[in-house]
Amino acid sequence: MPHDILTLYSSKALEYGIAISFLVLFIPFWRFVMKPAPAPAAARVAERPRVPVAEAVEWFQFARDVGFHPGHAWARFGQGALATVGMDDFARQLVGSQASLELPPPGTTLVQGEPAWSLRNGDRQVAMLSPVDGVVTEVNPAVGSTVGSLGGDPFGTGWLMQVEVRRPAANERTLLSGDAARAWLQTTTDALRMRIAPDMGLVMQDGGTLVDGLARAIDEDNWDAVAREFLRS
Amino acid sequence: MRSPAATTALRPFITDKLFLGLSLRDYLRSLATPGSLTAIGILAIGIPVIIYRFVYGLGAATNLTQANPWGIWIGIDVLSGVALAAGGYTLATTVYIFGMRDYHSVVRPALLTGFLGYFFVVVGLLVDLGRPWNLPVPMLFSFGTTSVMFEVAWCVALYTLVLFLEFSPALFEWLGLEKWRERAMKLLLPATILGVILSTLHQSSLGALFLMVPTKLHPLWYSPFIPIFFFISSIIAGLSMVIVESNLAHKYFPSRIEPGHAGDLDRITLGLSRAASVVLFAYFFLKLQGLADAGAWHLIGTAYGAWYLVEMLGFVLAPCLLFAWAARTSNPTLARWTAALTVAGIVVNRLNVSVIAMNWNAPEVYVPSVMEIITTLTIITMGILVYRFIVNRMPILRLLPQYPDTH
Repeated sequence: MPHDILTLYSSKALEYGIAISFLVLFIPFWRFVMKPAPAPAAARVAERPRVPVAEAVEWFQFARDVGFHPGHAWARFGQGALATVGMDDFARQLVGSQASLELPPPGTTLVQGEPAWSLRNGDRQVAMLSPVDGVVTEVNPAVGSTVGSLGGDPFGTGWLMQVEVRRPAANERTLLSGDAARAWLQTTTDALRMRIAPDMGLVMQDGGTLVDGLARAIDEDNWDAVAREFLRS
Repeated sequence: MRSPAATTALRPFITDKLFLGLSLRDYLRSLATPGSLTAIGILAIGIPVIIYRFVYGLGAATNLTQANPWGIWIGIDVLSGVALAAGGYTLATTVYIFGMRDYHSVVRPALLTGFLGYFFVVVGLLVDLGRPWNLPVPMLFSFGTTSVMFEVAWCVALYTLVLFLEFSPALFEWLGLEKWRERAMKLLLPATILGVILSTLHQSSLGALFLMVPTKLHPLWYSPFIPIFFFISSIIAGLSMVIVESNLAHKYFPSRIEPGHAGDLDRITLGLSRAASVVLFAYFFLKLQGLADAGAWHLIGTAYGAWYLVEMLGFVLAPCLLFAWAARTSNPTLARWTAALTVAGIVVNRLNVSVIAMNWNAPEVYVPSVMEIITTLTIITMGILVYRFIVNRMPILRLLPQYPDTH
């Protein structure tokens, strides 16, 4: 290409053109990349969690309308692909109200049986396993950073997140519900009783309530190992 | 002969630290996997080949000539190796300087990859250079201060040391050397700052090497901006490599991962893809600027032009849009595949500049010899084996409970 004045001007013009088109295109590109995707339509008309039927297995609340994962997470399936996910009363009491709760942000992909969120106390942390496969669409805004913020209603207002479930029917079939769940929770409670029996100071003799943070009470130094044993993580 | 006390202190070190708490027999048995056997096979062939190259010289082992002095050892082992090891400075800057602590869990793997990347770049370079005993001459006694090579040599040597410093807290935690770890932690921030400076210098200088060959390098790849192209694309390579490496680590070392970090990794993957897409976008336009500056549009219609379009559209623009789409739709799986495509693209670019588009109009065509390919495979295999050895032992993917706030 000859390098006369005109050629030089035309190639400079092209370079300016490229620079300006970069700046102009960069704005929409940046906005496209940085803005998170709108929640799926199903999530926006999400069915709010219902207040569970009050029922208990010994010291722990129990709900009939949810599916339990053996790691003490639960899922309530609504219409369509959306499910509400939470941790059960057993897990809540096991780690205690002062434990901090680290939930995955919306957009996170969960896999059933894989760690989904974690509970931290001091420098130790324990994961809880996801009861479903799917993508988190919403995290309960009412739940703060500690387990105590779940309040006394882990199956109702204390739900943790809404998940768009990839295979709702298949996931639901693998969870325990109804009488089977009740029997499982009873067995787990018996196992817990075996762990705390040597130290009767933990339980009131007249069948009263448990201390806050059972795992810590069982073994102060290795509470995370105790919790992991029951939460299967 | 060792004293009994030394023997008793040594035994737990060997069994716990080196053999992962197994007896020698069990440990060896645990190594008998298809992957390990393949690696041993490659090393069994490759190490004698490397020895052969040192004994009989470049002429006997390679297809390199006076006209084609740089082959795949430079194109893959050195140029691609340095670019793909850029995750170390990219992530260390993100976390330690910009304070984006969300990414802390991938800093140590990134620094380890960076350190091993540079270490094996040096190994590759030594294989290419030969006569390792002459190494101190350009480094200490005969400065070629006007040469880009001089700058690259010093920068790479210093940066390898800096990466070792940045990685060393994990080593000292593993060895239980509390005092050393404290010292290394104090050096972390200055080391990171030094690391950015050195990386900016030599990532671009590796491109600047090609400023010397305006007639040998095809006009579609030759540009006065080539140092900038090398530097910007190293950021892309670093980000993509961290995505690829952290996801492979989660897949192949599940027992070494902190519980509850699966969701974390998806979030980090999407954050890194967002960054990579923006940098790729800028890089694409910079490359266009280079093309306009060279006035090489008429060469697009040639065979080299078609290959240039494959690089620009398939390995720059496509990953840019795919990363953006993955970030927008929160699709970490797409982000992972795109990262793999981008890593391949970086290797393609470095090979294009150093081998494929080099001497494009010369009658002599360079094709790597079998020994060159075996040597490259051997060096990569050694890198993977050392990575595996370290990750299985040191607190890289998972923190030790006594150092919870390390990064």
